[in-house]
Amino acid sequence: MPDATFLDSTELVLNMGPQHPSTHGVLRVILKLDGEKILGTECVIGYLHRGVEKIAENRTFAQFNPYVDRMDYVAAISNGLGYCLAVEKMLNIEAPPRAQAIRVILTELNRIASHLLWLGTHALDIGAITPVFYCLREREEALKIFEKYCGARLTTHAFRIGGLLYETYDGFEKDILAFCDWFLPKVDEYEELLTNNRIWVGRLKNVGILTADECKEYGVTGPVLRAAGVQWDLRKAQPYSGYEKYEFDIPTRQNGDTYDRYLVRMQEMRQSVRIMRQAVAAIPEGPIMGKVGKVIKPAVGEAYVSIEAPKGELGYYIVSDGATQPYRVRVRPPSFVNLQALDRMVRGALVADVVAVIGTLDIVLGEVDR
Amino acid sequence: MKKLLNKIFLTDLFQGLWVTFRNQHPKYIYTEQYPAERPKVAERYRGAPRLNINPDNGETLCIACNLCALACPENLIVVTSERNEATRRKELTEFTYDTSRCMFCGLCEDACPVDALELTQDFELATYTREGQIWDRQMLEEGPKPTPYKC
Amino acid sequence: MADEQKPEGSPTPPSAGGEASQPPQKPAAPAAKPAAPKPAAAKPAAPAAGGHAAPPKPPATMAATPWTSDLAQELKERFAGRVLETSTYLGQNFIVAKPDSVIPVLEYLKLEADFDYLVDVTAVDWPKRAERFDLVYILYSFARNERLRVKTYIPEGYKPETAVTVHLAANWLEREVFDMFGIQFAGHPDMRRILLPEEWQGYPLRKDYSIIQQDQAWVRENLEIESGQ
Ligand code: SF4
Ligand code: SF4
Repeated sequence: MPDATFLDSTELVLNMGPQHPSTHGVLRVILKLDGEKILGTECVIGYLHRGVEKIAENRTFAQFNPYVDRMDYVAAISNGLGYCLAVEKMLNIEAPPRAQAIRVILTELNRIASHLLWLGTHALDIGAITPVFYCLREREEALKIFEKYCGARLTTHAFRIGGLLYETYDGFEKDILAFCDWFLPKVDEYEELLTNNRIWVGRLKNVGILTADECKEYGVTGPVLRAAGVQWDLRKAQPYSGYEKYEFDIPTRQNGDTYDRYLVRMQEMRQSVRIMRQAVAAIPEGPIMGKVGKVIKPAVGEAYVSIEAPKGELGYYIVSDGATQPYRVRVRPPSFVNLQALDRMVRGALVADVVAVIGTLDIVLGEVDR
Repeated sequence: MKKLLNKIFLTDLFQGLWVTFRNQHPKYIYTEQYPAERPKVAERYRGAPRLNINPDNGETLCIACNLCALACPENLIVVTSERNEATRRKELTEFTYDTSRCMFCGLCEDACPVDALELTQDFELATYTREGQIWDRQMLEEGPKPTPYKC
Repeated sequence: MADEQKPEGSPTPPSAGGEASQPPQKPAAPAAKPAAPKPAAAKPAAPAAGGHAAPPKPPATMAATPWTSDLAQELKERFAGRVLETSTYLGQNFIVAKPDSVIPVLEYLKLEADFDYLVDVTAVDWPKRAERFDLVYILYSFARNERLRVKTYIPEGYKPETAVTVHLAANWLEREVFDMFGIQFAGHPDMRRILLPEEWQGYPLRKDYSIIQQDQAWVRENLEIESGQ
């Protein structure tokens, strides 16, 4: 009997969460344990369910826009971009080039902010306390730019259907470039702290492996997929909002373990800086709002539009019946789908690895539960 | 060999400690002393609502068109108006704004045709009661009055 | 609370009158026009949708055009009579299959046509239709860099076959569809609610479930409060 331990213990059921510091919100994981070894997990989610999709059916297209910020609240701008693009697709319009460039800049800045929060909390879970302070310090600068641009730091409501409402403020370009210059050395600093640290490596290497085939099978996207060796990024595969104009690489790694996902995200932050620099250098002049009426009323039909959010593929499937309110808005949340693979990643591992794996999946419970 | 030396002399740990040490310098203090020092928020900050009054004659700018109430996703603005028979214009009588449900999205502000409703830079909105969160016209015109912090 | 007034119900301020005289392009006038969702007032953004001669009647249908490609041809031949429609709308392809042949279609698409990534499973409720629900599977192919939606129309009470046998990702996605629409998937390994509590009554994303409705009994019993709504 290979499964029986020398104590011949029976299976132990352990509740992790919903109030557990390393589940990043209100996630409850029921662990079935044999000693330290995990025999199976079950996620209990829904504590943060607010019925966003139902709310959408009762709001006009423009009114629903602020609500999407509240799904993945650490990457609110990405959510907004996805929603605006989806409705623009329904209306069959495109935002003007200037708006697109500004959108790209802010979305990439938001990607950095999201990854920084991930890095800080992930490192904190593993036991490295220093990075979280540094990460939040850098994130603060990004949030300050959001605040200056649109008046809010977290739930920004930065974009409008058809373009932008806010013109850039004076010194926007300067702020972004200053941020880029200041931020890049910081990434090196984090790497100095973590990449070679033996505890960090020991806790992450070969933990929570998800191969490329498993990723596809589970629908897992984003950095998790790229760490498994699939060079797939929606910004390149199906460019939106003018991403085809910018030069950047898709960082990939081969092992698909937690350590690789860490490295991929670190590289992604550098690539985001690269995109921002190019975009700032070439913000075209022109209007920022497309030809959209005051009443947004797409023709009868449906569309699915997805973007590469910091966590993976974020999609909006919108059905319109020709009214001012969407008939149905379905959000395809990356966190929700990625979380599904948790069971596969931790089966047979140790309890401490669950913490590492939840951290590396980079879930936001607001998006899992919507 | 290099690996062994690394292991013995804990280079990776010292590398990390050196980063921490570099950041020790007092010029890297980022903590905000909030109640003692109020942070300066951005110009476009969307905070406490305000109903602007015309500085020249003290009358409200609001024309009671109800557009803000229609634009608000949360339906939390109630505008009541009365038709003034003398001037044959609608005049604002009451304006309530429920800040407890507001998400400060700014849609009402965008909708206002005369820039009467504005989200200002005030961010201290806490009250002791739920009722205190519902602002009436007077409160909206005067703005919040948080008790200043004394230390 | 009168929280959920549809804009249609609210009185339109008189200043909306001049809107019809605007050119057919949506009025980009700077002055804030009130929401006037009358079908006749402004033409919907139809000219962009390509030949969609929008009649102002509500039950207009989607102006989809037939989708022709090798794959569409192949699907039509292989699943003759079971794939009802291959169309494209706004450059996005979708097929409509018979409810009982969705799984074979998905399987075929995965094995033969490289549609190996199930992006999403969702549903749409149309209470007035005989087949009440649209069931939508969104697929993506890494090799082709293409998306495809597989749709099917099912009546209430019909239990579609689960897609977990083809794509493991369908597990939670189908549970969510069950949770929100009450569509049971036959053969699903774990057909329980996922977001709402297990004992919750009702399926919130159905159109007859009002937005302020909730399971009062559950709230009272478990949270020991009277809901404020
Ligand atoms: S800020 Fe948004 S939620 Fe608040 S009153 Fe204005 S429109 Fe409504
Ligand atoms: S939109 Fe402006 S003018 Fe109209 S009722 Fe609201 S505050 Fe008054």
